[in-house]
Amino acid sequence: MTQLIHSVIRYGVPLVFLNVFLEQIGAPVPALPTLIVAGALSADGRMSSTHVLVASIVASLIADWIWFLLGRRHGYRVLRTLCRISLSPDSCVRETEARFERWGLKSLLIAKFIPGFSLVAPPLAGAARQSTIAFLIYDGIGALLWVASGVVVGRAFHHAIADVLNALENLGWWAVAIIASAIALLIALKWMQRRSLYRRLRMARVSVHDLKRMLDEGSAPMIVDARSSAARKRDARRIPTAVVVEGDTLQERFAALPPNREIIVYCT
Amino acid sequence: MLIDRGFTLVRPLKGGFEAWIEAGYPVENL
Repeated sequence: MTQLIHSVIRYGVPLVFLNVFLEQIGAPVPALPTLIVAGALSADGRMSSTHVLVASIVASLIADWIWFLLGRRHGYRVLRTLCRISLSPDSCVRETEARFERWGLKSLLIAKFIPGFSLVAPPLAGAARQSTIAFLIYDGIGALLWVASGVVVGRAFHHAIADVLNALENLGWWAVAIIASAIALLIALKWMQRRSLYRRLRMARVSVHDLKRMLDEGSAPMIVDARSSAARKRDARRIPTAVVVEGDTLQERFAALPPNREIIVYCT
Repeated sequence: MLIDRGFTLVRPLKGGFEAWIEAGYPVENL
């Protein structure tokens, strides 16, 4: 067995802890593959699945609790910051808020299985002034389900994963380079996806000053208030002339408009 | 959603509603 695998086994649980913590705090380092490998190693008796479970749940709870406290302290501004740094442009605050509004703290039970939602749900719970104890209970159960699913998959497919590990073992430090390249490629793809979205939006975001000038000149395009219903309940005001759009009213509102009509959209 | 429905000139407001409020610009009640 090479030094590489020895290192993984020797520092396995702290590595899993670090990986889970970094992912939950927002770093683009997926932890699920690590949990699956840890599960496979535990099936071979080379790691303790109990230690992996406990370390992962604790790491997840610490990271989520930090976000929960930040949400409680800074409110919805934290969500906007998260959206700015997130590599998942589809995980917009509006969708997350709508989901959280629908399911409440129960959404934490499945949050970790939904890309983007996992990171935004804890500060959202904090901003919504949910009870700390209830948050920790639901978040802890959610973390348990997520970690256990990775470990169970690893244990179930440990023979196949052992083959992959052996192949990596033969590659030695090349394996590290390949994995690092794969992660870099994943980040690059996400980044390109985000750039692509911005291009589709023409990246020409409109400043509030320009919009005010357009309104004053009477040349403002259609303005759409795309905040979630929860956000509109918190602040029942809108930019003058803005139309409020819910998912189910979108069709009727925009059916008669030409596709080249300029539309300015705002969220919270 | 608007882009998916074929609208080609959809532009986001920089800073969102909070930036509008912070700038002290007028608002309407919903």
